[in-house]
Amino acid sequence: MNGFNVLLKKEWREYSRNYKLIWIPLVFILFGVIEPLTNRYLPEIMEKVGNLPEGAEFPWPEFTGQDVFISLMSQYQMIGLLIIILGFMGAISAERKNGTASLLYVRPLSFTSYFMSKWITINVIVLGSVWVGFGSSWYYIWALFGKVPVQDVMVFLAVYSLWIVFVTSIVLALSASFSTGVTAALGIVLTIIGSVLDSVIGQFWTITPWKLPNYAALMLTKGADRTDFWLTVVLTALLIGILVIAGILMSKRNASKATV
Amino acid sequence: MEELANIPWKLIWPLIGIQLILIVVALVDLFRNRNVKGPLFLWILIIVFINIIGPVIYFLFGRRQS
Repeated sequence: MNGFNVLLKKEWREYSRNYKLIWIPLVFILFGVIEPLTNRYLPEIMEKVGNLPEGAEFPWPEFTGQDVFISLMSQYQMIGLLIIILGFMGAISAERKNGTASLLYVRPLSFTSYFMSKWITINVIVLGSVWVGFGSSWYYIWALFGKVPVQDVMVFLAVYSLWIVFVTSIVLALSASFSTGVTAALGIVLTIIGSVLDSVIGQFWTITPWKLPNYAALMLTKGADRTDFWLTVVLTALLIGILVIAGILMSKRNASKATV
Repeated sequence: MEELANIPWKLIWPLIGIQLILIVVALVDLFRNRNVKGPLFLWILIIVFINIIGPVIYFLFGRRQS
């Protein structure tokens, strides 16, 4: 396991050097803070600067804290996922291309530790960012709307975190298999467009990983159908396992493609 | 002036602070790295003047991976 620790340190150093360790959490916090603020103050902002004609009404629904939480989640479902995909699309493929890989692959290297070191580091960064994002949002929602109970938030975060791990596993497995460009395109199709498609035509099935964000939202409001939910969790965990194994196999298989 | 006092500054300051940190980090990286796609000057404008996502655009697309 010695090689694994070295690789873990390498990953960590790399992400602090290219500032991903700083800017990714900050961006998630930023969106977490903006969402409650705009939801709370939009009517007043519209009145002051919106150029509404005299006497115009600007109806704005009354939100509860839970609603703002869910609207932040849908924000993360677009911009957050985009940042995850574009930020980590080159995790393996770019190393093959820019020569880092050839420095690594000449050493006696277990591809399991190679892939897992990346998988763990990326998940720590991304999950940490999502949590601090929702955490700061939770504080703002508490200040502006009202309290959302901690237990509800924890359950919500647990479910949403599983979805995020699913997304990072997809991105890493793709990065191990294809070039950076293909990874970005397929990653966006599989996660963002996949979620949109699932919400449009997905009423026929209830058990897919793409339903996880919905289940997370339901946890916050009224509680989901338990059997379907647990089957979804099991299926997602299985798929994450398959993606990880596929990623390890593909990074081994593509090792010969590394530029020297 | 009364309207300025009504703004919940306690909640706004962190927002401004985070944006400033992002801008500073992006600029520091830009000047240390200098190995960017496209003209340096353009990236300074993008980082400083595009609200919220300017630094993000730089970090995602401006840096050359090396």
